[in-house]
Amino acid sequence: MFGEQQRFMLFLIAPAALLMLLFQVLPIMIGANASFRNWALYNPKKTWVGLEHYYAVLSDPAFLYVVLPNTFLFMILSVAGALVAGLALALLLNRPFRGQKLVQTILLVPLMVAPVVAAIMIRWIFNDQFGIVNVVLEAIGLEGQPWLVQRWSAFGIILLTDIWLWTPWFTLLLLAGLQSLPKEPFEAAAIDGTTTWRVFRYLTLPMLRSVIVVCVVIRAIDAFRTFDIVWTLTGGGPGRSTELFSLYAYVHAFLNLDLGRGSAAAIIGGLIILVIGVALYRLVDRIAKA
Amino acid sequence: MAAISLRKLNKHYGSLFHAVKDVDLEIADKEFVALVGPSGCGKSTTLRMIAGLEDITSGDIRIGDRIVNDLPPRDRDIAMVFQNYALYQHMSVYDNLAFGLRNKKTSEAEIKAAIDRAAGMLGLHELLARKPKQLSGGQQQRVALGRCIVRNPEVFLFDEPLSNLDAKLRAQMRIEIKRLHAAIPTTSVFVTHDQVEAMTLGDRVVIMRDGRVQQVGTPLQVYGKPANKFVAGFIGAPAMNFVTATVRSDGGATTVEAAGLKLSVGDAEARALGAYNGKSVIMGARPEHLALGEGASGLGFDARVEVVEQLGSEILLETRVGSHGITVARVPAETVIARGDQVRISAQPGRLHFFDPDTELPITG
Ligand SMILES: Nc1ncnc2c1ncn2[C@@H]1O[C@H](COP(=O)(O)OP(=O)(O)OP(=O)(O)O)[C@@H](O)[C@H]1O
Ligand SMILES: [Mg+2]
Repeated sequence: MFGEQQRFMLFLIAPAALLMLLFQVLPIMIGANASFRNWALYNPKKTWVGLEHYYAVLSDPAFLYVVLPNTFLFMILSVAGALVAGLALALLLNRPFRGQKLVQTILLVPLMVAPVVAAIMIRWIFNDQFGIVNVVLEAIGLEGQPWLVQRWSAFGIILLTDIWLWTPWFTLLLLAGLQSLPKEPFEAAAIDGTTTWRVFRYLTLPMLRSVIVVCVVIRAIDAFRTFDIVWTLTGGGPGRSTELFSLYAYVHAFLNLDLGRGSAAAIIGGLIILVIGVALYRLVDRIAKA
Repeated sequence: MAAISLRKLNKHYGSLFHAVKDVDLEIADKEFVALVGPSGCGKSTTLRMIAGLEDITSGDIRIGDRIVNDLPPRDRDIAMVFQNYALYQHMSVYDNLAFGLRNKKTSEAEIKAAIDRAAGMLGLHELLARKPKQLSGGQQQRVALGRCIVRNPEVFLFDEPLSNLDAKLRAQMRIEIKRLHAAIPTTSVFVTHDQVEAMTLGDRVVIMRDGRVQQVGTPLQVYGKPANKFVAGFIGAPAMNFVTATVRSDGGATTVEAAGLKLSVGDAEARALGAYNGKSVIMGARPEHLALGEGASGLGFDARVEVVEQLGSEILLETRVGSHGITVARVPAETVIARGDQVRISAQPGRLHFFDPDTELPITG
């Protein structure tokens, strides 16, 4: 059926394909199957219930009015924050100065820290009794806050942690982008007497646009699935007020042990990411061609 | 009014590399100077120091009556054309032309007038709405020229602006630049590695090698009286023939001899070569100053044809005399000649150059 060469190629990709099948395709199929069945782990009847779980998720006020808005807000603010901070740092690092290499290395540190570790660190920093933040605030005569048990301060801390973790990633990629830009237009602009702001606005930004868009697409899709730092920092609390979509699916599947409901939530999330992803890719394409 | 003056200009890259060495150059107001030399000789570096894009290590640069050593590029009132055009890719041609003026907050009406005038001069009117990507190389370079013109600067700087264009377009643009300079006389420095460009465009030509200026002069001066062997070989195409020859002077007649070659020189040359009797010198003869056939007496020699290059308008001959290759230009195109033929070649009297083999300086009386 196959020629020698084809057989050899199949042989080479077989291990990777097998892993993907076992650990990605198969679980997705099982999950999709579960989402249509009555599959509570404490009572797995596995009877077909059609779209009942989907209906339950989509009519759950917590999902509609807390989780989804949280997720989108988080995605937008986290990506925007890390992009702005990353771009600013990349611009700073793009001009030579003494100690540039050192700064560049230090900036990479957050990338090397496991998100869970970072989240635990931040959790202790903002702990309301022992945290350094409150200690400092009280030392200068201000009142300490229960940072992680108020909705918006908790949300803000989650955001800041995520931005801190991801800024170096943006910095690295945007710096690479900046360094690959041709020098001459900038020299022409310098001779033309262009202000720094106009150089940024009319040269750097448009020339860097395609790199920015690709970074944003990748990061936005990724941010939509954020789990670890939220789980570690607040566990979705106080109450469910900082719950994101992936926590919602996790809680239903593994805390409430309702695999059917959790899978339905996961698949809804997957579809949302798919739509966002396709839309963003269209955008990239348009911008790349412009 | 903007004369440019370079005094003892030096540029080091790092601690080891000395790219520009003690360059002294006076460029008059409205003069067009061409800076020419082989690749890596420091032309671009010199130009970029004038532009302020490169720090100077030592020396002075004066534009007009100001020392501009430490002025940023924008305060030098210059405009520059780059080899790869350096247009703002995502802006229309119109916006490219307007960009520098908008930096200065010029009114849109004035900008429009300036662009109209420049577009008229360069034939850009139909292209104003396009993006640079939609233009040919020649059109892009015209836009780059236009961008400089609209700003009406004191000085134009060109860094090999024509070298990305094909030969025909290059010749066209050369004429266009010349016309432009006649229409709006502005002090200009034009860097090129193409000596034809340098000779045709420059009021004066500056020849550089290894970071040093070799000669500054009008095209006729650098062609007719090269300051050393390097300039003699660099200026002129095809390049000058060089032959190492020995001077023999017995009483009245002076000759220079090499294998297969014995030429008698004129009185003036004989006087100059007086001190070299019995020693060897480098003799230079331009291909266009050699001709087929028996010419003036004592200036002929025999050669064997190795390559015949038929150009249609003339023939270029590569010949061999003893161990030397000798190029002969301007052989009439109709001449019947083939590889392997034995020919008689004669030099034009008074057109031979002699250089000291050690210093490579010309030997003059
Ligand atoms: N940024 C730099 N760092 C180190 N060396 C440099 C730098 N720029 C140029 N050089 C060196 O300085 C010398 C002169 O360079 P320059 O660009 O002035 O040459 P050029 O005469 O313009 O040559 P070309 O005709 O190839 O453009 C070259 O040997 C080059 O390698
Ligand atoms: Mg150069």
